[in-house]
Amino acid sequence: MTTAEISEHIGEHAPIGGNYLNQGKGIKSWLFTLDHKRIGLMYLISGLTMFFIGGMLAMVIRTQLLVPNGLIFHGSYEAYKHYNQVFTLHGIIMVFMVLVPIPPGALGNFVLPLMLGAKDVAFPRLNLLSYYLYITGAIMAVVSTLLGAVDTGWTFYTPFSIQTETYVVWMVLGIFLLGFSSILTGLNFIVTIHKLRAPGMKWFRMPMFVWASYATSIIQVAATPVLGVTLLLLVAERVMGVGIFNSALGGDPVLFQDFFWFYSHPAVYIMILPAMGIVGEIITVFSRKPIFGYKFIVMSSLAIALIGFVVWGHHLFVNGQSAEWDAIFSFMTFFVAVPSAVKVFNWLATMYKGAISLSTPMLYALSFIVLFTIGGFTGVILGALATNVVLHDTYFVVAHFHYVMMGGTIIAFIGGLHYWWPKMFGKMYNETLGRITCVMLFIGINLTFFPQFIVGAEGMPRRYATYLPQYQLYMIASTVGAYIQLAAFLLMAGYLIHSLVRGKKAPANPWGASTLDWSMASPPTTGNFQEMPVVTQGPYHYDDMEYDGRLGGFVHVDPVPALAGAGVEH
Amino acid sequence: MSFNFAPGAANIIQMTTLKLPGVLAAWGLPHSDAVTGPDVQFLWDFILGVAVFFTVLIVVLMVFFSIRYHAKTKNQVGDHGHTHNTALELTWSIIPLILLMIMFVLGFKYYLNMDTPPSGAYKIDVQAKQWSWTFVYPNGGISDKLYLPAGRPVRLDMTSSDVLHGFWIPRLSIQKDVVPGRVMTVWIEAKKSARMWLQCAEYCGSGHSKMRARVIVEPYAQFKKSVHAIADIWKQNGKTLSLAAVGRKLHITLGCIACHNMTGAPGGVGPTWKNLAGSKVHDTNGQVVVANYQYLKSAILHPGHLKVKGYPRGIMPNTFAAQLKKIAPNGRALDALIAYINSKSKYANQQSLPPELRKSSTTVQPSAKPKTAPVKASGLPAAALPFVSKGKVLVQTFGCTGCHSVTGASGVGPTWKDLAGSAVTLTTGKVVTADYKYLREMILHPGTLLVKGATAGVMSGTYGSMLSGPKHPHEKKLKAIIWYLNSLSDHANKASWPPGVGTKK
Repeated sequence: MTTAEISEHIGEHAPIGGNYLNQGKGIKSWLFTLDHKRIGLMYLISGLTMFFIGGMLAMVIRTQLLVPNGLIFHGSYEAYKHYNQVFTLHGIIMVFMVLVPIPPGALGNFVLPLMLGAKDVAFPRLNLLSYYLYITGAIMAVVSTLLGAVDTGWTFYTPFSIQTETYVVWMVLGIFLLGFSSILTGLNFIVTIHKLRAPGMKWFRMPMFVWASYATSIIQVAATPVLGVTLLLLVAERVMGVGIFNSALGGDPVLFQDFFWFYSHPAVYIMILPAMGIVGEIITVFSRKPIFGYKFIVMSSLAIALIGFVVWGHHLFVNGQSAEWDAIFSFMTFFVAVPSAVKVFNWLATMYKGAISLSTPMLYALSFIVLFTIGGFTGVILGALATNVVLHDTYFVVAHFHYVMMGGTIIAFIGGLHYWWPKMFGKMYNETLGRITCVMLFIGINLTFFPQFIVGAEGMPRRYATYLPQYQLYMIASTVGAYIQLAAFLLMAGYLIHSLVRGKKAPANPWGASTLDWSMASPPTTGNFQEMPVVTQGPYHYDDMEYDGRLGGFVHVDPVPALAGAGVEH
Repeated sequence: MSFNFAPGAANIIQMTTLKLPGVLAAWGLPHSDAVTGPDVQFLWDFILGVAVFFTVLIVVLMVFFSIRYHAKTKNQVGDHGHTHNTALELTWSIIPLILLMIMFVLGFKYYLNMDTPPSGAYKIDVQAKQWSWTFVYPNGGISDKLYLPAGRPVRLDMTSSDVLHGFWIPRLSIQKDVVPGRVMTVWIEAKKSARMWLQCAEYCGSGHSKMRARVIVEPYAQFKKSVHAIADIWKQNGKTLSLAAVGRKLHITLGCIACHNMTGAPGGVGPTWKNLAGSKVHDTNGQVVVANYQYLKSAILHPGHLKVKGYPRGIMPNTFAAQLKKIAPNGRALDALIAYINSKSKYANQQSLPPELRKSSTTVQPSAKPKTAPVKASGLPAAALPFVSKGKVLVQTFGCTGCHSVTGASGVGPTWKDLAGSAVTLTTGKVVTADYKYLREMILHPGTLLVKGATAGVMSGTYGSMLSGPKHPHEKKLKAIIWYLNSLSDHANKASWPPGVGTKK
């Protein structure tokens, strides 16, 4: 088949021998692709670009805070305003352009149909639209930054966000589009999971990551519209002075906070649930043992998604909310901690009597467990009312959510990226460098964020361009940690790019995973499966495969219908 | 860029030798001087104890399993028979649940106590604004420092005149946001004398990290003396201060310093006060005015009337008139501030000084206003007085004062005090005189002539019809209201009077 003919077959079944990366050439075949894997890859590249920008802004923040009066921005309110713009953009980029959209957009898009035994997501065109909404939203954010970068903090609290002369409206409309992208992705995934499961793939035969994506999608579809409405009201407030949130016009700033967190707290679970799903997959595969307490883990994902809707008020404990509401939200906050604890114990129990290999993805999964545990427990301290009012809006909070977001979501995402990298690109990365980088990141993250717990408890508020001199020791430690993280990420970029160019060819199933996403060649063809897989058992079983040294991967010794053809090289 | 690492290094040495062991001993929370402190500390210790226990357990198990069950060959598999155990899983669901519920109950119980001010507490008002804290004591004393009596409960009623702020004193275990439009209340009881910082915890803009205040906890007797001394701003250590010295205090205590520095450094939110008095000031229309006494007075009392080039309008709160009046009803507090501004200006002259400081020997220094001065409110023609009182009744009927104050206080719409006959800047940048035609148009067709800083559509356009007769606007009612407006204004003149009365007769 000629290249031209292949171009006509984009989205169709592809011939044997090619894969989704080279079936269809030229920029147009990517920009108009309906293939979930290519869209996933475009999300990945966009997301990593945004992560790099957000990360460099974080480096500016950390560098600024090396000295109490500020190393970069100091001496005038105008300078502090620039610092405020930097941390605002860092927050907006990381939350709305990396943490929320990228784990589902990149890994979810790539892996979900493969795990279900489907050719694609349910609505491929909608999937492409989601991506373009994401890009448009990101471009609007860039435009607003060039016109006059917002200095409101990523939370856009009123009335400051109504009064500031920066380009809030542009930024907010950009985020509105990002929200739409998120809703459409969630909708697409829900329908895909309901309708496109391979024959025999019963609900309780779905892999953990699919369950986690399902729970995530429910939140995306149900909570994000509230964010959209809230942001539009904020625009109306700025443009027309409607007086809903503006106290000067009789509005209520706390109402904005309620609306905002009604989305933004569930959004935290949008960020962490896919991460938990990834960690579950990695732990069972690298322990060579079925996940312990499958149903408990599934139910805990759904419980987190649902209870996560009724905890938002814990962001308002010091904002004049009544003590009764404080009590209810505090109670629900403690309640949501239980399913998280269940997951951690189940992962540990999976390792018990396993056959553990500490490969790079596994090291990331174990790092996740430690960092998420620290982030989770400090969340418990913040969930308790009496301790919350002492620590609210301090660096303790900053440290807490960075342990969860950076140590949780990002670490799991990077682990997942390493785990699925061979499948995505058909290349192996340097395992030694992978492990070294993971250890560097683990050290860097702890050194960056642990001192922030102490400095917050000691009395340093968040979002400070300058600080009292007694906090400097902790701030320096934190900055050193941030530079270690930067070095780790640069190293990672180096060996991952190297693997694309020079990497060893990846086998179909390098880790010996039993889920369907590893049952085809690496990288997969455009249509994913040569023939419809039939599932006859649960997702995790490792006693029916064998390592083949020639291939560098696992092959089935006792072929099961579900995995017919798995590990067979073309 | 300044690389002032040297003082930092000294800090580090000091902290590593002195502070760190203390931090470890107290599990991280700083020592609290509040009566509620031990409760918070207990809860913190309890949760942290549980957290450390489980974190260590998880890490130890993880490391142990990783070593003990390390795969020796690629083909080794785990124990496939060991995939769930309902009893075990329920155990590790229920034990955390019980522990978490204990934490919740303790947290709520302590919080209720922290959140409920005891009756009979000493009351201090807290005013937060970008970017300073002002504390108003029951005797009327105003300070930028928070004095607290040791061993007695204090209730703080907090308001914000602009955006959200966060009242946070970590060493007194208390934090509350100050939400504009609400009165936020906290209470504190410090156990013993101490000095600490109050820092703004809720992001409030450029100066957020500089918005802090000194908190001084003193024995009750000393506290009473301190508060007494604050109330008497005219004296220090029993000696009467010069007017400029009083102004210097006010510059700090009223928070002027947050936006107007005295160093001449550029980049402030408002113009520097160094070399301001007597100097030439460019307003936004490019006109040059001299910053004399009248100008300074007007700029402080009615911010926004006089707009200085390069400084956006609406940043400076117009609460200072009331605050200064509270300190000294006779206007001396304002004079003190102006005297201080003069003391820091090389351009200061007789015209820029407050009248009481002017040299009496100066030749031409007319204390009386020139003949061309606008007619005062008291100068309204007698025939207009019935209209004024009728207008006042109408204004109350229509509820105009809901948005337009008659005292000069800020509101949703512009104040009506001193409006008639004054110069008004429109959104177009044009400056017009608020004469009769202007006032009439504004009432009948709000939105057509929009005052700078106002938003279209806020004022209802129905007043015209409410005032109207069957065919045309009810001129009598309209005139009465405008007469009332004239009675409120120092700038009222014949052009701003409604026609018919006084002008024709």
